[in-house]
Amino acid sequence: MSVEPRRSKLVARLTHPVARPLASVYRWVDERMGISDLVYKALYEAVPRRGAWTYTLGSVTLIIIALQIVTGMFLLWSYVPSTTEAWLSLNYLAHHNEFGAIVRGMHLWGAYVLLLVIGLHMVRTFVSGSYKKPRELNWITGVILFLLVLALGITGAMLPWDQAAFWTTVVTTHVLSYVPLLGHWLQEVWRGGNQVGPVTLTRTFAIHIWLLPALLVPLIGLHIYLLRRHGEHGSWVNYRNDPEESERERADRVLRAEPPYPAVPSDPAYSVPDDLDEFFPSQVGKDAIVSFVAVLIIFVMAVVVGSPLEAPANAASLTYVPTPEWFFLPLDQLLVQFPQAWMIPVGVFIIPGLASTLLIMVPFLDRSPDREPWKRPQLMVPALFTLLFLIFEALLGVNRLFNL
Amino acid sequence: MPAVLSIAPHLVPVGVSTAVATALVGLLMLTHIQFAAFQQGGAMLAALFDFLGMVRRDERQTRFARGMLKTMALAFTIGSALAIFAVMILFTGLWSHFWVKLLRILFWPLVVEAGAFVLEIIALYTLYVGWDRLGRVRPLRVGLELVLVIDLFVQMLMINFVASYMLTPRPAFDLPLILLNPTLLPLEVHRLIGNVAFAGALVALVAGWRMLRARTPAQRAYADWMGAIGAVTAISFTALQPLVGWEYAKEVQLHAYASWYDMMLGGLSVAFLFQMFLLGLILTAGIFFFWRRVRTSGFRSPTLALCAVLSLGAWLLGATPSSLAWTYEQVFAANANVPIWNGGLLIPFGQMIPWKLTALVAFTFVSITAVTVFLREVSRGHLRWGEARRSQAVALITMGVAVSLIMALMGFIRENARGPFLITNQMLINQQQNFVPPSSAGPAQAGAAAGANLVLGGP
Amino acid sequence: MARRMSRRRFMVLATNVAGAGITLLIAAPIVGEVLQPIFTRRAHPWVRVGDITQVPVGLPTAYVVQMPTTQAWKVPPVARIVYVVKLNVGSAVQVLPLSNVCTHMQCDVHWDQNLQQFLCPCHGGLYSITGVNVGGPPPRPLFRYRHKLVGETLYVRDQLTEA
Repeated sequence: MSVEPRRSKLVARLTHPVARPLASVYRWVDERMGISDLVYKALYEAVPRRGAWTYTLGSVTLIIIALQIVTGMFLLWSYVPSTTEAWLSLNYLAHHNEFGAIVRGMHLWGAYVLLLVIGLHMVRTFVSGSYKKPRELNWITGVILFLLVLALGITGAMLPWDQAAFWTTVVTTHVLSYVPLLGHWLQEVWRGGNQVGPVTLTRTFAIHIWLLPALLVPLIGLHIYLLRRHGEHGSWVNYRNDPEESERERADRVLRAEPPYPAVPSDPAYSVPDDLDEFFPSQVGKDAIVSFVAVLIIFVMAVVVGSPLEAPANAASLTYVPTPEWFFLPLDQLLVQFPQAWMIPVGVFIIPGLASTLLIMVPFLDRSPDREPWKRPQLMVPALFTLLFLIFEALLGVNRLFNL
Repeated sequence: MPAVLSIAPHLVPVGVSTAVATALVGLLMLTHIQFAAFQQGGAMLAALFDFLGMVRRDERQTRFARGMLKTMALAFTIGSALAIFAVMILFTGLWSHFWVKLLRILFWPLVVEAGAFVLEIIALYTLYVGWDRLGRVRPLRVGLELVLVIDLFVQMLMINFVASYMLTPRPAFDLPLILLNPTLLPLEVHRLIGNVAFAGALVALVAGWRMLRARTPAQRAYADWMGAIGAVTAISFTALQPLVGWEYAKEVQLHAYASWYDMMLGGLSVAFLFQMFLLGLILTAGIFFFWRRVRTSGFRSPTLALCAVLSLGAWLLGATPSSLAWTYEQVFAANANVPIWNGGLLIPFGQMIPWKLTALVAFTFVSITAVTVFLREVSRGHLRWGEARRSQAVALITMGVAVSLIMALMGFIRENARGPFLITNQMLINQQQNFVPPSSAGPAQAGAAAGANLVLGGP
Repeated sequence: MARRMSRRRFMVLATNVAGAGITLLIAAPIVGEVLQPIFTRRAHPWVRVGDITQVPVGLPTAYVVQMPTTQAWKVPPVARIVYVVKLNVGSAVQVLPLSNVCTHMQCDVHWDQNLQQFLCPCHGGLYSITGVNVGGPPPRPLFRYRHKLVGETLYVRDQLTEA
């Protein structure tokens, strides 16, 4: 088995601190597990130099999801998923376990920052045209991951069983009852009855800590596998504009190209980055720096602002004003704007469902070979309007709750 | 006169009737709004195009930004002179009590407003005088333009605190509550978007004028390109307005019902209907321009043709009056609230829900589609600049004039919808100059009483 | 050769059948567990609201009632609100025990003295004094509890009827 000189150098550099003192042990393990091969495969990849900083957003997402999993795991050391004890356990955490409170704060702020970073990651992918052939499935798995994270966010908000959590639970589970025909059964299945009660919390808890992560983690694996398969060259800045080639010719060539599409400059169809860099350490270093900043923000917010715990859940409150989590403000505003009878399902399901479907369908709505944003106004303009609409809806929601 | 001196805080009358004072200040402020709105929208367009010209090394875009800034500097002199005249002479002289009360309540926002005014002078004239010298460090120039944009945003936010407070004042004497009153956000967004659309429409108007007068192919090409920029800006931003305006009206309905009633069903409903007519005219003219402009360059776009037809249909639907009377009360008084084919005065197709709402939704989607398709044609390189025909120039001019009219009309409606009040339920329009607060019926009580009558006089 | 192929096909078939069997055996009880709440019958005992003598006519009055949770295992009862509304109907006084659960998204509505209406803080739903939805998004009137009056003491069951 011949080892390429580049590769052995990289592996040697990486394994040096461990391999030197434990050389024989390392060799023994490597012979049986192929660690060097794995490390090499994981860390050697040709990546583009242009746009490298925008590519860090994906890694930041991964790091924050890892943070969520770890902090979530250790929140379970303190939290009791029961209507009678959930609030008490978190109240104990807040007042008698300061570091535990920070862990909870990091889980909360991790979720907030995660949603923002995923949003930026999606905007980057969208604007740069990276979702185009052959990377359609990267985009689709990404959108599904985003929806799963939203679902994790909303189920997580239900767990503390304070007033905010209780009313989030009531409204969210009641939304299901507007599903045509099956609505009431779906609501009963989630609530474990016709009203929100102890079973509702255990079920929401199970969904939050097991069902959704069990879907999330394999999908992340698929997302990263697809990324590695096609290489990180989806963005328009990494495509060489060939003035010799007509638009028609280029379109034909792109449409005829078939996998595999190696992430090296040899493939004229998909990977013609002008300038290449090593994944390790150039890209990994940038990823690490941006991730550190994100985690630092999360940590600081967890320490300074922390995570709120309102009064315990009370179904008989005449003064409490339920407010949705900020990332659900646009959807909440749709509930106000679509009143009465048959219009409620339009605001609750049809519009968000249509929006999600269109988001998933993006690679198929725009199949032209152009990746430059200004050559794709048929997608950029509606997307811009949609974004403005979402922001306006969120602002309206804030205005309504502030001026109640 | 010791009697006058003894009531020194309550001022000597100037001797101008309330009607004349209202007309004066209204005329002046509506003119001022045209200049101020252009400042804000124009600053955004100038900054954007200077930035694009820098990034994409496009001389035409830089030229556009430069022209915009020079025009802004000229317009600023007139707009600010009007504002100063309004504040120093009209407000202080004719609306003393109102102006003092407003200054006392909204002191800090108005201080910020004045500061932003000074910063605007510095930024705008630095750009005007030093355009070429600043051009040596392009990011610096774009940065200064960004400062101007933010400064003008702050300026409008401050004045919107005042305007929204006058319509929906919060009873609490609590500055955050007063500032973030229910109509602040919709008004802010509505005006922000409207000002950009307005600036775009004026660009289109000037471009249309230049198209008609162009002598050389180069002049014609630049005017054509400028017309497209203006029309795209105006139509895409106007497309957002039905939703934002709807939400604004909803807040007014919830928090100042009498004003809402006046606008939708009362004496101002005719003005509102004319506004609907103007909106339809703006969008139809713009979409007509897109459709014909693409056709002139030799490309048929069935989508744009369909958009033009739909826009025309929405225009007709939206501008249909809901009754053949000035106000709903007249219909009610004539005991004729049945459709015209049953001998009444109502026209069911003019009703807000669902017909005008349908027209508004159609306007939004049709405009977005038309802008998207037009930009797609531009990005494919289908348009050869300079080919625009006379009819297209006329469409742009029509659109520009209509946007200017709708800006004035909306200001008129907003200021008159408060009915007898200057500040809803708190201060009346009359008794501004010679007002002496008697011990028994102060302005607040008088206002509250009139407000109660108005609310009860509703439906 | 043909024999081998059939054996091969048998093993493919066996894989499919066994795989389906494994899935079914695991899924059946899970589906049953998850869907169980749909098929559970719940008891609705009478709960004492209180003496309603003091409730003024035309002013909805909130009573906090400890409703037993019949959903699952034994947990402490949950406080809920019953709005007792007294209205003059002709010469008699009608008593309406209204649920304060908004029919839109099930938030708690409260009687707003200024509006003279029930207001839902979540999405601005409005109901008249008799519980009829008069504004905002609610699709239905407020529900009424099944109730009985023993003297002036009101009892309700946690079972709702439409107005």
